[in-house]
Amino acid sequence: MQISTRRVGTATVVDVVGDIDLYNSPEVRNVVLGAVRAPGASRVVMNLQKVRYIDSSGVASLVEGLKTSRTANVRFVLYGLSTAAREVLELSRLITVFEVAENEEQALAP
Amino acid sequence: MSVTYKFEFPGDPRLLCVMRKAVELCSRLTGFSDELCRSLTLAVDEALSNIIRHAYGGNAGQPIEMVFRRADERVEFILTDSGREADLERLQPKPPDELRPGGRGVHFIREIMDEVEYQRLPGQNRLRLVKYRPSSTGL
Repeated sequence: MQISTRRVGTATVVDVVGDIDLYNSPEVRNVVLGAVRAPGASRVVMNLQKVRYIDSSGVASLVEGLKTSRTANVRFVLYGLSTAAREVLELSRLITVFEVAENEEQALAP
Repeated sequence: MSVTYKFEFPGDPRLLCVMRKAVELCSRLTGFSDELCRSLTLAVDEALSNIIRHAYGGNAGQPIEMVFRRADERVEFILTDSGREADLERLQPKPPDELRPGGRGVHFIREIMDEVEYQRLPGQNRLRLVKYRPSSTGL
């Protein structure tokens, strides 16, 4: 799994590539929380286009990001959900809890 | 015709991707749909993760045995470890719609599998996960 961040205006885009599971979900969690808590951040966008698999620990990392973003008054958006990722979020009954965009342009739109 | 495959591997989180591939391939050999293969992979992966985290307390390298058994009407995954006994309270699924970071693994397993059976044997935990072929449920 590879994870990186980039700034687009006042938004931070977190690019994740690969599987998110017990082994690497702690790293995802740390990067996401760091992005949410970063000074000046108004929005964190999770690019999940290349995430082929996500388990409950990965979902937990996203949930922590969402909860922390609400406290920090930062918008938290997911985009690029694979079939597998969407199924896991539906199984978690969280698909309507997260803000989900179709693409990066939509995720960054005002 | 019944088919049985046995896998033995150390309970290392780095190897979960390998085990997922094994589960996926076993599921595909059964002729299950892509969606069902993904679900089975998720359920078994969650169970393996729980063994690593809870039975072995995160101590990587402890042995886990996974037996895949395919019969005409169902598939079974039987996971055996020699870690500490499961906390039965933890095995109870929690309401999934709470905005709670953790605790969804058991919920996933119970939602996906048709039978989930845990046994504590002398020095071992045994978890049996069963999925029936969709056509055999009569639905």
